[in-house]
Amino acid sequence: MKLWVASKAIFYRNLVLMRSYFFNTISMLVTMYIVFLLMFYGAKAVGGASLSMGDTLEGLIVGYLVWMFAIMAYSDLSWSLTNEAQVGTLEQLYLSPAGFKWLSGMNLASNFLLNAVIAFVLLLGIMLTTGHWLRLDLISLLPLLVVTVLSAYGIGFAMGGLALIFKRIQSFFQILQFVFVAFIVLPWDRFPWAKYLPLAMGNVLTRRVMVEGTRLWQLPFSDLLVLAGTSLFYLAAGLVAFSTCERAAKDRGLLGHY
Amino acid sequence: MSLNGVPVLEVTDLRKTFGSGSRRVEAVRGISFRVQRGEVVGLLGPNGAGKTTTIKCILGLMQPTSGEIRLGGELLQGNYPRILSQVSGVLEGSRNIYWRMSVRDNISFFAGINGVSEAAGRDYFDHLIELFGLQEKRRAEVRSLSQGMKQKVAIACVLAKQTPLVFLDEPTLGLDIETSYELRETLKRLATHEERTLVVSSHDMDVIQDICQRVIIVSGGKVVTDQSVESLLQLFRTRTFRVVVAGSVNGWLDKALAARFAHCRVTRTDYQTQVEVDLEHEDHIYDLIDLLRESGAKIETLNQQEPDLERVFLAIVRRERGEQ
Repeated sequence: MKLWVASKAIFYRNLVLMRSYFFNTISMLVTMYIVFLLMFYGAKAVGGASLSMGDTLEGLIVGYLVWMFAIMAYSDLSWSLTNEAQVGTLEQLYLSPAGFKWLSGMNLASNFLLNAVIAFVLLLGIMLTTGHWLRLDLISLLPLLVVTVLSAYGIGFAMGGLALIFKRIQSFFQILQFVFVAFIVLPWDRFPWAKYLPLAMGNVLTRRVMVEGTRLWQLPFSDLLVLAGTSLFYLAAGLVAFSTCERAAKDRGLLGHY
Repeated sequence: MSLNGVPVLEVTDLRKTFGSGSRRVEAVRGISFRVQRGEVVGLLGPNGAGKTTTIKCILGLMQPTSGEIRLGGELLQGNYPRILSQVSGVLEGSRNIYWRMSVRDNISFFAGINGVSEAAGRDYFDHLIELFGLQEKRRAEVRSLSQGMKQKVAIACVLAKQTPLVFLDEPTLGLDIETSYELRETLKRLATHEERTLVVSSHDMDVIQDICQRVIIVSGGKVVTDQSVESLLQLFRTRTFRVVVAGSVNGWLDKALAARFAHCRVTRTDYQTQVEVDLEHEDHIYDLIDLLRESGAKIETLNQQEPDLERVFLAIVRRERGEQ
């Protein structure tokens, strides 16, 4: 089995589908921009002038960026899995000798690139609007974001697995998007365990890179270790949950049903 | 894939049970069969007979409760997904393809995820497009095509994977008569010209009778018949003759026929009379003609009733259910 051929096919399919759903991509971008503006002006109204000048606003931008990345990563998995099952292509993907997990991995990789472009455009718009320019040290930022979203992928795999069995759980997917906000905003001084939640450490470290200008190798090793450990843990847990659900779906003959 | 007489596919005592307790349903109850290289085999059965479940178990989309499935002698269980480079299938009730992608892109994509690159498969992809008469629609998005064309694209996508064994689950389901005929003709050409092993599951008897050399009839989760289409039809070939005579015949003929033949039916319309007789021996056809001549009837047509697969199928399935 030529895995690169399968991977190329996935990349090309995503490109074709993105072109086909171009309006959808643009409307998503606009919606996310509007949501940020609401949050931004809301925060300004509540916090007053001091908020707009301080670190909190920059923290808000970084937090929103991490949240957006996480949402896109998580949605790519859970929604696309539900969608594939709905349109009837899921079983065909399962018939690939490359394996469904490999195809999913390639799907995530190609979507990550696409999401990075979307996030960059959005970030540019946000920085233009707010007048707060953050440091875009890609060498430090990209590895951090990749490792941070691994935990979102883990949750996406788990949710995708549940969708294989329970099918119509899209409303649960939506609720979970707000749970992601809690992962990011929970204060560590009051809840010390919160740093082990998905996205939490990634958000803090990304803020240090983007706001304080710290380089990746200047970040505390223990924090990087916590980030890698938690991300890998949630990814592994998600994959185990997905495999368990997949087995159950195959046993009950639910893979192609919607 | 089939070396030294090793079957391409060997299914042994396949069982699949859903649920437990009072909700326990035995969908497949010990199905066994073999398929040799190059064979075109039909899988026939009423709704809920276990055809699709059997196919999905073979393709690894469903976990069998027990049993053994071998592909070219190699055990399937434990060798997924690698072994899927040898087998593919179009599944009933699924779109199987992306409606927002063009015909050509779909073919290229599904071949690609099976490891067949664009460069390696280009000529064959074009051949498939031509075979299914999709040349003018090759760049069209699938959603703009008719149901029949969509089904053709789905089959072409699976064939593009170039696996030696292909399952076609209800390939003509939901198609109108003309499109179904067209697709049947294409599949017939495919079966003749390509050295593929095809397993076709269908409700459409014409599909099976036209394309397949062998038929496996499944009912109640079990194989009830597994033999060549020709020998199955021969088995059910009867000595039933139908004679159409002009106008009405007198009542004497009814009594004479009833006295001479055990199974005889006479039906009358305004313009003709139809006599259907089951003969015990071929020679008795002369007795029938003699009686008709004596009654003064003018024979318009006389022919022997040919069994078709639909009648054979119904007879077998009803017998299996213990019906008359």
